[in-house]
Amino acid sequence: MTKGRLSGIAWAVAALTAIAFAIIPLLWMILTSLKTNREITQDTSLIPESLTIGNYVSLFNGREFGAYLTNSIIVTSVSVAIALILGTQAAYVLARFRLRGGMHRYVGFSLLMVRLLPPIVIIIPIFLVAQQLGLLNTQLSLIVVYAAFNVTIVVWMMESFFREIPVDLEEAAMVDGDTRFTAFRRIVLPLAAPGLVATGIFAMITTYNEFLFALVLTSTPAAETMPVGAATLIGRINVDWGAMSAAGVVGALPIVIFSIFVQKHLVRGLTMGAVK
Amino acid sequence: MTPSVVGRTLRGSGLDKALPYLMLGPALFLVLGVIVYPLIDGLRSSTGFFRFGRLVRDVGLDNYRQAFADPAFIGALLTTARFVFLAVTIETVLGLALALLVARERRFIRRIRATLILPMIVTPVVVGIVFRLIYASDVGLLASMAHAVGLDPPQILSSGTGAFLGLVFLDVWEWTPLLFLILLAGIQSMPVEPFEAARVDGAGAWRIFVDHTLPLLRPTILVAVTLRAIEALTTFDQVYVLTRGGPGTSTQLISIYGYQTFFQFQQVGYAAAMLFMVALVVLVAAGFSVGLMRRRAS
Repeated sequence: MTKGRLSGIAWAVAALTAIAFAIIPLLWMILTSLKTNREITQDTSLIPESLTIGNYVSLFNGREFGAYLTNSIIVTSVSVAIALILGTQAAYVLARFRLRGGMHRYVGFSLLMVRLLPPIVIIIPIFLVAQQLGLLNTQLSLIVVYAAFNVTIVVWMMESFFREIPVDLEEAAMVDGDTRFTAFRRIVLPLAAPGLVATGIFAMITTYNEFLFALVLTSTPAAETMPVGAATLIGRINVDWGAMSAAGVVGALPIVIFSIFVQKHLVRGLTMGAVK
Repeated sequence: MTPSVVGRTLRGSGLDKALPYLMLGPALFLVLGVIVYPLIDGLRSSTGFFRFGRLVRDVGLDNYRQAFADPAFIGALLTTARFVFLAVTIETVLGLALALLVARERRFIRRIRATLILPMIVTPVVVGIVFRLIYASDVGLLASMAHAVGLDPPQILSSGTGAFLGLVFLDVWEWTPLLFLILLAGIQSMPVEPFEAARVDGAGAWRIFVDHTLPLLRPTILVAVTLRAIEALTTFDQVYVLTRGGPGTSTQLISIYGYQTFFQFQQVGYAAAMLFMVALVVLVAAGFSVGLMRRRAS
C-alpha cells in the first residue's frame, strides 16, 4: 500500500470518528423515543425490538406541544422579521453617514456590548419591568425582548456587509433620479442579500433555541415556547423516559429542519454570527 | 454637522438630512427601551434590600459586600471558573484538530462539515435531555454499553465529581463545533505562500504546523477562546435540565446560583448586585476581544 492511500484511510477513520461523536448521542435519543417505557426500563438492549410512536402521540394529546410549537414559530419569526427590518436600516446609516457627535463610530460597538452581557444579568430587570406593565406570560413580551436582542446582532453584522458595497452604485442611482431611500431599497439591499440571509439564519437559530428569557417571562402554554415546554415537562415526569426523549426530538426538530433547509448558507451564517 | 456620505458631501433637502436619524431611530429606541432602561433600573435595585420581592430600604453597597462574604457565591464562582477553563481548553484543542482535519476540499466535505456542526444547532435544553438519556444510571446509553460488555453501569449524575465532569463533557460535545467553525474560517483565510515555501524546503507536517499554522492562527484562536469563554461563563439551560446545580453544589454555576437567589429566595437586590459584578468581568473580556478583532480587521 502506498503512503498516500494509508493516510487517506487514516483520514477517513478520523472523520468517521468525529461524525459518530457528533451524531450518536442524538441517535440514542431518537431510538429511546421510539421504544415503549417497558422496553426502555426492562431491556438494556441497544436496539429496540418493536417500535412505537405512542410517546409522540402523548405529547400532542393531553400535553400542550402543539401550543408550544405555535408559540415558538410565531415568536421567533415575528421577532426576527422586526429585527431585520429595523436593524438593516440602522446598520446602513452607521455604514454610510457621518452623524452628530460621531455616533456612527460607537453605536455599533455599544450594541454589541449589550449583546455580550450575560442574559441572566438582564433578565432580572426585564422581569421586573414586564411585571409592572402586566406583560408577563404573553407572546408580545417575548417578541419585544427577542426583537431588541436580535437588533443588536443584525446591526453589528449588517454594518460590515454594507461597508463592503461600493458607494458609487448608490450615487449613480441618485444621479439617475433615485432618492437616498429608494437607492437603498433598489440598489443596496439586493446586493446585501447574502449578508441578510446569513444574519437571518443566525438570528432564527439563536432565538428559537433561547430558554432563559422564555422561562422567566412565560408560565402557561398560552405563551410558553418549545424549550420551556420540554424543560418543564421533564421536570414533572422524572421517570417517563419515553416521553422525555420524544419531547427532546420534537423540541429540536423544527430548528434542525430549518437548518437542513438553509444548509447552503448555514456554515457562513453561523461563522459570521460568531466572529463578525 | 450635516450627515454626509463617508468621505464625500451630498447635497440634500431637509428630508435627506433627517433620513439617517429616521432610519436609525427605531432600532435604537427598541434597544434603549427594552434592554438599557431595565438595566439601569436593575442597577438601582442592586443597592436595595428586598423582602418578598418588595423594596424595604436602601442599603448602599451592602449587597456587593455581602457577595464577598457569601461562601455559596465564592463557591459558584470557583465552580464556574473550573468549568470554563476545562471545557474551553478541551474545545479549543479538539476544534483545532477538527478544523485541520476538514480544511482541505475533498469529496463530501461540505456534508461532513455540516454534520459536524449539528450539536451547536440543537436546542441547548434538548442537549440537556440528550445527556440525561446518556448518563441515566438505569436506562442510559453508557449503562446499556456497560451492560453489553458485562460491566457495572457507571454512576455519573449521583456523584459530585461525576456530575461536574459530565457537564464538562456535555459542553465539549455541544460547543467544540463553534471553535471548529471559527478556526476553520481562520485556516481558510491564511496566505498560501509560507506553506508552499516550507514544503519546498522539505519541512514535515508537524514542523509546518508549529512554525507556520499556529503563529498565523494565534489571533483567531485568541478571539475564539474569549468569545466561547464569555458564553460558557453564563451557561444555564443545560445545567437547569441536567442537574439543577447538584448533587450538592457540584454543578452550581454562577448563573444557576443567581437565578435561585432571585426566583427562589426572592433576594432581588442581592441577586442583582452579584450578577452585575459578573457582568463587569464579562464586559471587560468582551471589550478586549472585540478590540482585538477590530485591530485585526483594520
